[in-house]
Amino acid sequence: MTAFLPWFFGLLIIFLFAVAFLLLRKRQANFTLRPSPQKMPLTKLDSPLFKEEYAGDLTTLSKVIPQPQEPEEELPDKYNIDRLVLMARDPYWLYAYWEISAATQEEFKTNYGPSAWSQSQPVLRIYEVSGIGFEKQSVLEYLEYTDIPISDQVEDWYIQVGQPDRSFCIEVGRKLQNGHFITLLRSNVVSTPRASLSELVDEEWMWIENLYQTIRHQYGVSSPLIEEEIAGRAGIVPLGISSPGFYISQE
Amino acid sequence: MPAGFLALVLHMHLPYVRHPENEHFLEERWFYEAVTETYLPLLQVFERLVDDKVPFRLTISLSPPLISMFTDPLLQQRYNIYLEKLIELADKEVGRTYNSPFHKTALMYQHRFRQARYLFNDVYQRQVILGFKKYCDLGYLEIITCPATHGYLPLMMVQPETVRAQIATAVDLHRQYLGTLPPGIWLSECGYAPGIDDLLKEFKLRFFFTDTHGVLFASRRPRFGVFAPIYCPSGVAAFGRDVESSKQVWSAREGYPGDYDYREFYRDIGFDLDYDYIKPYIHPDGIRINTGIKYYRITGNTNHKEPYVSEWADHKAAIHAGNFMFNRQLQVSHLSKLMERPPLIVAPYDAELFGHWWFEGPLWLEYLIRKIHFDQDTLELITPSDYLTRFPCNQVARPCASSWGNKGYHETWLNQTNDWIYRHLHFAGAQMVELANRHPEAAGLQRRALNQAGRELVLAQSSDWAFMMSTRTTVNYALSRTKSHLRNVLKLTAQIKENRIDEGWLSTLEGKNNIFPRLDYSWYQSHYRPDFSMAL
Repeated sequence: MTAFLPWFFGLLIIFLFAVAFLLLRKRQANFTLRPSPQKMPLTKLDSPLFKEEYAGDLTTLSKVIPQPQEPEEELPDKYNIDRLVLMARDPYWLYAYWEISAATQEEFKTNYGPSAWSQSQPVLRIYEVSGIGFEKQSVLEYLEYTDIPISDQVEDWYIQVGQPDRSFCIEVGRKLQNGHFITLLRSNVVSTPRASLSELVDEEWMWIENLYQTIRHQYGVSSPLIEEEIAGRAGIVPLGISSPGFYISQE
Repeated sequence: MPAGFLALVLHMHLPYVRHPENEHFLEERWFYEAVTETYLPLLQVFERLVDDKVPFRLTISLSPPLISMFTDPLLQQRYNIYLEKLIELADKEVGRTYNSPFHKTALMYQHRFRQARYLFNDVYQRQVILGFKKYCDLGYLEIITCPATHGYLPLMMVQPETVRAQIATAVDLHRQYLGTLPPGIWLSECGYAPGIDDLLKEFKLRFFFTDTHGVLFASRRPRFGVFAPIYCPSGVAAFGRDVESSKQVWSAREGYPGDYDYREFYRDIGFDLDYDYIKPYIHPDGIRINTGIKYYRITGNTNHKEPYVSEWADHKAAIHAGNFMFNRQLQVSHLSKLMERPPLIVAPYDAELFGHWWFEGPLWLEYLIRKIHFDQDTLELITPSDYLTRFPCNQVARPCASSWGNKGYHETWLNQTNDWIYRHLHFAGAQMVELANRHPEAAGLQRRALNQAGRELVLAQSSDWAFMMSTRTTVNYALSRTKSHLRNVLKLTAQIKENRIDEGWLSTLEGKNNIFPRLDYSWYQSHYRPDFSMAL
């Protein structure tokens, strides 16, 4: 019996190591398999102006380099808070991420019945709020909106608004079976950037039209020139270099 | 008065890559390579120009991580070790290439590396920053700052406090090492969104740069296009990048660095030579890496490469400098007929392209500056501050949110490869602001923990990580850095909240992630406003 004990502990240790190893592997797998959120259908506005080129295989340190690393903890999946954050990505697209706390979920069930959560449809509601101050958000209920049905699994979304120089606010909520929309979260207000020259012209600073003809840059529509310029920007190098147009033909 | 002005802007930045835990950390080499190939050669260019009494004005943005690495004793010491090793290899190469077409180039490297050692140790006493300060104090350089860790500000604007802290940290560090307030700022990746200029104004920063459309698509159509700055309603000036001069230097088709006589970057002896021979000079694990010694010229579009001939490359750099100047002269003469004031051409570049990628880049710059001084009167070099002094009256309009990244807006830093970081970054930012507000008078251990949480937060906010994820270069490193700094913020803030700060662990972090020793958590307080009456 005494001879058996060391064997037993030895096997136990090996077993524990194996479990730890498998768990870590699983965590990593979870990360790489993170489902990407379902995206809005692409339209011509978003179709890329060029085929992106990557110089990943040309970089100094692009080969996968085994760094001696201690196994890393992942970041929390949830922070258990209520928040809906909206960001403008470009003149045509917004990005939103959100989290609904367990408490809010429970409150919803208390108010609308235990099965209301599972029987309602999660929805993103998008308001265009240009010219409306943030403080007047109560106006939202009178505004027109667009609804995007989503699923319970997603917690972020790219929203194609297609309108430069406009302001937006969104809500995450649930549509009950009777069609009622219950707001759970409301976002900050963001504005999409302009994508063309302003129509506003200063009298004292009247624009010099001829001058603009010398600028090889798109304003309004994309031109072959801008495509070339932009394509150059996709040239990628390490050292954190991001100069636009940095691109040395190596092919 | 000249017909027009040219503002050359070199943006110098590398992410903070200091890894005390491992003396062979590959990413640290980014810094060493850039010192040898870009920063020291640029200082040599300035030195030669000053010796020859060639006046010039250049704008350089020195990023806070770069200043921090320049001044870090561990990195200085490791750089010396790296350089010694490199010189040893160069010495061997001189022997190995004897009687071959590569011998002259081997001698060139030997000379360059020895010069680097001399400059680094004997001239600047390991303080490369002093070199830049010297030419700034002498009036040749206008040195500006950039957000603390090159944070991409437009996507941080949901929490203006975290943007303010990035700027406060940068301005403080700039003051510490350059002795003055920075006159302007290079916004990381030219990333601008309305509202950022209001925060810049708090720090007396007078100007920043945008990509072409940042100014062109301003709220009011700019009279002079990008050939004069505009003032934001806050009074901070925005200078728009000129596309033409950028293309001239970097375009694949029209650009200079792809010239067949220039040095080929992708044929490094770290990859080309016999494993047993090169083994002592690559990574100890046997991973082949760039050594910096490259013997070929670009030669052509195929894999066939011919030996490098430095005289030919030198000659081409002079031709290209002349060509660049000629084109700017044409541009300026044309524009000046249309404008009632001399046009301004703003030509910004990443400094690391000069020397590291485009080996002959520093030489090209030197030729350009000499030619501008000796060969013509149409153009004059200028810095943004000089320009604003001469032309203080400019149109007021709000620039358009933009960046110089792919497609011109924020997509490079916000797409499916990196969008997940923002829910963590914003949460960590909110924690930081909340704690800073809650503890106005923190002292002792609590203060140390709050300050370190601020350091970890700015490190997590580096735009570099999102950029690497986006471009799929060194992704694992970018992921690891983002996650580890975020975890540190979350752990520290939890410990502060629960009043159970682990001092041992905190000390470890302070030693490991030692950037910005003067960072003060109070910069995250919602009511914080800078007070410039404080001593340096």
